[in-house]
Amino acid sequence: MAELLLDPDIRVWVFLPIVVITFLVGIVRHYVSILLATQKRAELQQLQDSQVMIRARLLRENGHYLPRSSFIMRRHFFNNEETGYFKTQKRAAVSQNPMTDPSMMTEMLKGNITTVLPMIIIGGWINWTFSGFVTTKVPFPLTLRFKPMLQRGIELVSLDAAWVSSASWYFLNVFGLRSIYTLVLGENNAADQSQHLQDQMSGAAMAMPPDPKVAFKAEWEALEICEHRWALENIEGVLVGNPSPAIEQAS
Amino acid sequence: MGRGEEDGGERDPGRVTGEKGAQVMEMLGKHFNCPKYTLLEARDKLRLWREENERRSLEVVDMWDSYLQSNIHKLGDERLLVWEQVCIAALDCNRMDVVDICLVSLATEFPSSMRVRKLQAMKMEALEKYDEALELLDQIIKRDETNAAPRKRRVAILKAKGRIAEAIKELNEYLKKFMSDQEAWQELCELYLLEQDYAKAAFCMEELILHNPHNHLVHQRYADIKYTQGGLENMEVARAHYCLALKLNQNNMRALYGLLLAATNVSSMTKSLSAPKKKECNKLIAWASKQIRNRYEEVSGRSPECELEALNGMLGALQIAGPQSSSP
Amino acid sequence: MCAGRVKTARGTGDIVAFSESAVRNNAAVVEYCRTSMSALSGSTAGILGLTGFLGFGFYLFAVFGLWCLLLLKAGVRWEKYFTNRRTLLTNGFLGGLFTYILFWTFLYGMVHVY
Repeated sequence: MAELLLDPDIRVWVFLPIVVITFLVGIVRHYVSILLATQKRAELQQLQDSQVMIRARLLRENGHYLPRSSFIMRRHFFNNEETGYFKTQKRAAVSQNPMTDPSMMTEMLKGNITTVLPMIIIGGWINWTFSGFVTTKVPFPLTLRFKPMLQRGIELVSLDAAWVSSASWYFLNVFGLRSIYTLVLGENNAADQSQHLQDQMSGAAMAMPPDPKVAFKAEWEALEICEHRWALENIEGVLVGNPSPAIEQAS
Repeated sequence: MGRGEEDGGERDPGRVTGEKGAQVMEMLGKHFNCPKYTLLEARDKLRLWREENERRSLEVVDMWDSYLQSNIHKLGDERLLVWEQVCIAALDCNRMDVVDICLVSLATEFPSSMRVRKLQAMKMEALEKYDEALELLDQIIKRDETNAAPRKRRVAILKAKGRIAEAIKELNEYLKKFMSDQEAWQELCELYLLEQDYAKAAFCMEELILHNPHNHLVHQRYADIKYTQGGLENMEVARAHYCLALKLNQNNMRALYGLLLAATNVSSMTKSLSAPKKKECNKLIAWASKQIRNRYEEVSGRSPECELEALNGMLGALQIAGPQSSSP
Repeated sequence: MCAGRVKTARGTGDIVAFSESAVRNNAAVVEYCRTSMSALSGSTAGILGLTGFLGFGFYLFAVFGLWCLLLLKAGVRWEKYFTNRRTLLTNGFLGGLFTYILFWTFLYGMVHVY
C-alpha cells in the first residue's frame, strides 16, 4: 500500500488540539467534581452501627489474643439471645429504591453531570468539529477488524487499518491519559471517566445503601461460629525456645 | 505507639496552667535551644508533626515566636492549619497572647466553624472557665451530633475538675456511641486505674489489644494491670502477655522484669502445681534472669564485676520480694 | 501508631506484621514510577520510529528494566519494602501499556507520519 502523505496543517489544527482538549477536560472535570461534591453528613445512628461492626470484626480477627473468658464476655455482649447487641438493636430496613430518597437523586445527578455529560458533549463536539480527518497512524500493523474501531467517520475500504481517524484518536486519548491523570492529580481523582464506565457496566451491583439489619445478621452469624483458640497457649515455651507444649506432655 | 496517642484533647489535664506554668516554661526555655530553621523547613516539620499527631507544644510555640508569626502569610492556605496547630500548642504552654492571635485570625476566616468553636471552648477551659466551656461544647454537639471531639472535651473538663467518677460515666456514654475509638478506650483505662478499678481497666486494655494486637506496649500494659490484680489466674495471663510483648520486641526491659516477677509469683503461689508445669515455670525464670543479665552485659560493655554482682543481688531480692508483694 | 496493621503467617508460622499505610505508600510510589516509565519509553519508541513487534518488545524491555532497577534500589532486603517480587513486575502492566501506546503513537505520528 502506498504511503499516505498528511498535510502538516492537520497536525497543528486537529491532531494536537484533540490531545490538549482531552487532557484539559480531564483536569477541569476533576476540579468541577471537587466543587460539586457535598460532604456526606452521617447520622449518629449510622456512625454507631459502623463502629459496632468494626468492633465485632476486630473481635473476630484478633479475639484469639484475649483470654478465653474475656472473649466469651464480649461475644455474649454482641450475640446473647436476649440481651445481645445484635439481637436487641432493631434497625428499620433501609428502603431499597434510591428514587425515593431525594438526596440520593441529587448525588446521582451530580455524578452524571461530572462524568457522563462531558463525555457525550466533548465526544460529540470533537466528532462534529474534526470529522473526516485521518490524523495519524499507529506504528504497528492491525487486522481489518480494527477498522471500524480506529476509523470511525471515514468509510474508506482500501485504507490500511493502521490509520486512525480523529474521533478514534479522541478515544485513544481518553483511555491512554488515565494513568497520566494519576500522575498529575494524585490518586483517586475524578478525571478518570473510564472508571465510571466500568461502574456502569456492572449496573445491577450499584452500591446499595448498607443495610444495618442485614449487616448485623451477617456479623452475628460470623461471630457465632467464631471459635476461640487462645494464641498465647504455649507462648512461654516458644519464647524459651521449646516449641513442644509442655502442658500437653503432662496430660 | 507513644506518638499517636497525644491527639484527643482529653489527655492533657497535666497541662501546665497558671503562674506555675509560666515558671516551668521559663525554666524549660533556658535549656531548650530551638534550632533555627528556614520557613520551608519549619512548614515541613509542622506538617510532619500534624500528620503523626505529635504535640511538641514547646517547639511549635517557639517556632511561632521566632519567625512564623511574621511570615504566616507566606504559607498560603496552609496557614489555617498552622494557626490551629499553634493555637493548641499555645494552650498547652499557657501562652494566651498567642492563642488570642490565632483564634482571632481563625474566627475572621471562618466565623461559623465548629472547629474554631471547639478551640474557643478549649481556651475557656484553659482559663478554668469550665461552665462557659461546657456551654460552648454543648452547642457544638447540638449542631453536629456526630462530632466526637467536643464530647471528648467534656470528659477532659470533668477530669480536669477532678471528678473522675463523673468523667468515667461520661466517657462510658461516649463509648456506647463510638465503640471503636481507641484513644477513648485508653483514656477510660487510665481513669479506671486512677480509681484503682483494675478489672475494668483490664477490660479497656483488652479492647486496645483487639485494635493493635501487634503492639508490644499494649500487651505489656495489659500484663501490668493483670499482675497488679493478683491471683493465680491473672498472674498466668500476665505472664503470657509479658511473653508476647517480649516476642514482639525483645528489647522491652519492663516486660522482661515483669515476666520474671510474674513467673516467680506463679511458681511460688501454688503448692499444687504439677511437676512439668513447675519445671516449665522455673525454666522461664531462669531464662528471664539470664536475658536481663545479658542485656546489662551488653549495655555496660566490659561487664565490670561489681555491677554484675549488684545486679545479681537485686535479682535475688526481686525473687524474694515478688511473692510477698502480691500475697493478700 | 500505624493506622492499620496486617499480619501474614509465613510457612514457619511466625507472624510478620507490616503497616498497611506504608504498603499503600510504596505501591503508590511504584505506580508513579511505572506511569512515568511508560510515558518516557513510549516517547522514546515514537521518536526512534520503532514499529510493530519491535515497539512491543521495547515496552517489555522497559518494564523488565524498571523491575530490575526497583529491585536494585530495594537491595537484598527487598522483603522490607515489598511483599511479593512477582506482583511488582506484573501489576499495572496493561494500564501502562495503554499509556505507552498513546505516547508511542503520538510521537510516531508527530515525527514520522507528517
